[in-house]
Amino acid sequence: MRRNTLSYKCQQYAMFAGLSTIAFAAVVIIPFIYGLYLTLTSWDGVSVSKPFVGLANYVSTFQDAAFWQALGRTLIYTVIAVVLVNVVAFFLAYLVTSGVKGQNFFRAGFFTPNLIGGIVLGYVWKFVFNRAFTALGTSLSIGALSTSWLATTNGAMLCLIIVSVWQYAGYMMLIYVAGFMSVSKDLIEAAEVDGCNKAQATMNVTIPLMVSSFVQCLFLTLTRCFMVYDVNLSLTNGEPFGSSIMAAMHVYNQAFTYKNYGTGQAEALVLFLVCAIVGVTQVYVGKKAEVSA
Amino acid sequence: MKRFLASILALAMTLSLAACGGGGGAASGGGATSGGGGGNSGDGVKVTIFNTKSEINSAMEQMAKEYSDSHDGVTVEVYMSNDTVAAHMATKYASKDPYTIAMVDTKDVYSLGPEHAYDLTGQPYIANATGCVELDGKIASVPFCVEARGLIYNASAIEAIIGKDFVPSDYATLDAFTALLDQLVAGGMAAPVGIMKEDWSLAAHYLAQFIEERDDVDAFVADLKAGNVDLTSDAKFNSLMDTFDTLMKYNYAASSPIAAEREVSEQKLAEGEIAFMFGGNWDWAQMASFDYSEKLGMMPLPLNGTDDANTKLVGGPSKMLFVEASSDISDESRQAALDFLTWLFSDGSKWLTEDFALVPAISTISADSLDPLSKSVSEYNTAGKLIPSYNYMPDDHITLMGAEMQKYLAGQSDRAGLAGAIQNYWKNQA
Repeated sequence: MRRNTLSYKCQQYAMFAGLSTIAFAAVVIIPFIYGLYLTLTSWDGVSVSKPFVGLANYVSTFQDAAFWQALGRTLIYTVIAVVLVNVVAFFLAYLVTSGVKGQNFFRAGFFTPNLIGGIVLGYVWKFVFNRAFTALGTSLSIGALSTSWLATTNGAMLCLIIVSVWQYAGYMMLIYVAGFMSVSKDLIEAAEVDGCNKAQATMNVTIPLMVSSFVQCLFLTLTRCFMVYDVNLSLTNGEPFGSSIMAAMHVYNQAFTYKNYGTGQAEALVLFLVCAIVGVTQVYVGKKAEVSA
Repeated sequence: MKRFLASILALAMTLSLAACGGGGGAASGGGATSGGGGGNSGDGVKVTIFNTKSEINSAMEQMAKEYSDSHDGVTVEVYMSNDTVAAHMATKYASKDPYTIAMVDTKDVYSLGPEHAYDLTGQPYIANATGCVELDGKIASVPFCVEARGLIYNASAIEAIIGKDFVPSDYATLDAFTALLDQLVAGGMAAPVGIMKEDWSLAAHYLAQFIEERDDVDAFVADLKAGNVDLTSDAKFNSLMDTFDTLMKYNYAASSPIAAEREVSEQKLAEGEIAFMFGGNWDWAQMASFDYSEKLGMMPLPLNGTDDANTKLVGGPSKMLFVEASSDISDESRQAALDFLTWLFSDGSKWLTEDFALVPAISTISADSLDPLSKSVSEYNTAGKLIPSYNYMPDDHITLMGAEMQKYLAGQSDRAGLAGAIQNYWKNQA
């Protein structure tokens, strides 16, 4: 049987990738294309008729000040959260690979928050911010703690960031741990023989060799922060006075609560594009910085 | 050739797998939780009910089970979802698997009814029902219950301080009400009022009242949209907000009103730590779980002014039931659903009033054993003292105006700022 014919290649493809292709098309490609079509209609999300309106939804997307505010807010949140998550995760990873006593226990402990779903996490922390912190603040008469942070605009954002860091730091830590482990001990010993102290060895040998971990972690945190919805919903629900509505929540409200499905879909597409451009750029730049030993 | 056959076979298998998956997904779909049904599922027709009153869901499942057990060939199943009603229904319609009976808010009937509501004209309970929604000459829905909002009071706590019977009508004006609040404060109740910060309570319930009080609501809304209303000089708006200012002043959470939690406020009210909270008879479901005082009830919002708005609660028939009209439901199922509703509003009515503790919207159903709040609502309803709620609020009203009311509650905007925001909002609706 000849192996370079088209039909043979098609068969091979169908054998090995057919199922995944069908599944991927069914849950990603087709809904995406259908979604693109819906941005051209003024569908309300329920009715049978989907009137075609051309690009009107994109016009209203650009005129929707609340959407751009939410996107700007998401950007600020993302920048702060991504930096904090990665800094915290990196130092946790450093800590639990440096040979401290019981480091496996710590690894498991730091990772646990990631096993709790975002919705539950939000409700748990809501209780902590609203009740536990305020009770602590009142009894110790610490002014900053005696009122709930969730009730102020900046406080609510801070709470979201704290919870995100708590949630993702453990997960990213695992990736950094893998990065640390992948750097050969020989190289570090060689560096030390050449006169590096521990910090210099880390800075100049270990970190350059684990750039791929940074690329992965940054990509994961960036995309997750841009798309944040579950914690946003259960922790603040956009309150106080709509000042913590993130882009994804605004899209949901627009599509399902305000019943402007087409506009919501168009805004979702803008959010997707922003997220994709930032993510791909970051990976491209990061990959260039990778070195191999 | 063998390999070719093998790969074709593999492809066919994956396709059939995908097809099975699709079918199964649609049947279970929507992320709703189900219950009830009883033991005789699989035979006869099935009636599915979409419930949007989470507080009575387990009681409804119980009812469904007993109904299924006592009616051969019919299985009733109750489903609930915490998703937005429109979003959830859209999923069900898209999967061609709609509920036989759906319980939705009045405004949803206007959007879903034209295509999906079966004409209930001629059903035995319709003649005695108030507040059915009529669309294009058909009776699209029948209300499940009557609900109203106003000021919930704890008379036991008040009487312990003022030393005499609490008669709500004595405090119908804001001046008299303020004097009472001062008396309560002097008597040792540090802050007698609770305010819910939830946007639906602030915007859809409290703020909506200045619109609902109008004699001709539609004309007033048209004026608002046209920008012809100056709220800063509007008597009803100012009177309503004066009362809100007073409630804010005596709010137990005045230092951080946006952090007040509904459950905490309701517990304080039920147990008499505070005496008043703006709410509705649906709050009973929560309050009943606490160690509540004996004398609870609802009164109209105290208002200074010349009209009779301070003698009425705001509300009316709510939670509309409609039967699916499309061909996605078999005629047998539809008939079973109609039979079920007939039963619910006649022989099965004890479920409505006793087990669900709801005020019935059908006049032939007696309501003797209601909870304290529903009892108040029932009294005001019978006396014709309910201001109809306005069911045509735009869909973004709760979110956007809720945010403005929260700003006002938190002291981040003033009366003029709020009035301006409301006027702008309505102008943008035009």
